[in-house]
Amino acid sequence: MDFQVAVEDIIPWDGTLSVSDFSLSARTFSDKWKRFNPSFPSWLWIPCPNHHLVSSHKEEGYLSLENMCHIQSNEEEETNISLAWKEESNILLQSGEPFDDATLVCPQHEVNHYDFHIVYSPSYRVPVLYFRSYHSDGQLLQLNEIEKDLAGHYAKLRSESKWTFITHEEHPYLNRPWYKLHPCGTSDWMKLLFHGDPSLNKNGSVVEQYLVSWFSVIGQVVGLKLPMEMLNTVASNNSYTLIHTFPKVK
Amino acid sequence: MSVESPSSVRKVVVHLRATGDAPILKQSKFKIAGTDKFAKVIDFLRRQLHRETLFVYVNSAFSPNPDELVIDLFNNFGFDGKLVVNYACSMAWG
Repeated sequence: MDFQVAVEDIIPWDGTLSVSDFSLSARTFSDKWKRFNPSFPSWLWIPCPNHHLVSSHKEEGYLSLENMCHIQSNEEEETNISLAWKEESNILLQSGEPFDDATLVCPQHEVNHYDFHIVYSPSYRVPVLYFRSYHSDGQLLQLNEIEKDLAGHYAKLRSESKWTFITHEEHPYLNRPWYKLHPCGTSDWMKLLFHGDPSLNKNGSVVEQYLVSWFSVIGQVVGLKLPMEMLNTVASNNSYTLIHTFPKVK
Repeated sequence: MSVESPSSVRKVVVHLRATGDAPILKQSKFKIAGTDKFAKVIDFLRRQLHRETLFVYVNSAFSPNPDELVIDLFNNFGFDGKLVVNYACSMAWG
């Protein structure tokens, strides 16, 4: 065991996670989200029993945040898209009167529904964000319609930064086509995020904080913002260890 | 609250630190109004480095949302009187 710890100290971390680390990190992430983001619905852990008989991981599953509503409002688009995300129940409360299917949908308040899943990719050994979107009548949105929803700064971010792009692929558990943010660069920028802080690697806090840090980048692409307090718990651990590793000279 | 005069706007010292093969700036520390959004820091870096593809992060642990105010970031993550912002120009995946 000692030998293994020693080896881990020497070999630089490659920015990836094992499947059991993913489920551990997912739990930390959803707990923190619930604590610091109570106005949003929670990320739920959906356990998925492995169909393969040989390597069965009990902890296999994914995180799910479903039925987020994106309100297309012409006035405040481009300014702050994270404000445009609402839980479905909030919308029903706000509208005040029962929704009548027979009326024409007012184009100023067209509501699109979004489902987000965080799924582990065994080939890249990193988390991947899968998502799909549908109109109120259940019809799925095409990619260009989704891009219109996620306009503003985020579209700019996506086109300019080359660290991720959207592809259309089969959901590994649901076997239906979903959109996903391609994970080919993930381990590289995750390595960067934790770069220069070797103290994090030792006590397993990288594993715990992995998803929070990962989502601070990925969430921006789809306009989901992490509350500052949630990030603060990452950083405070961080500066705590920094103080102890490099005591001030003067 | 009375109308704020320009001098009462809290300034924040931002220290820009290059990582990976990103070029180092001649002036790595500068002052920015706390009321500015983090997006301004990103735009500044983009202009200085003439690179569109940038990866910007704070405290080696997360990438701030461009909508966050610089003063909020400083209050939460500032250290030694300044906010350290790391940047990398994507290379491996660019």
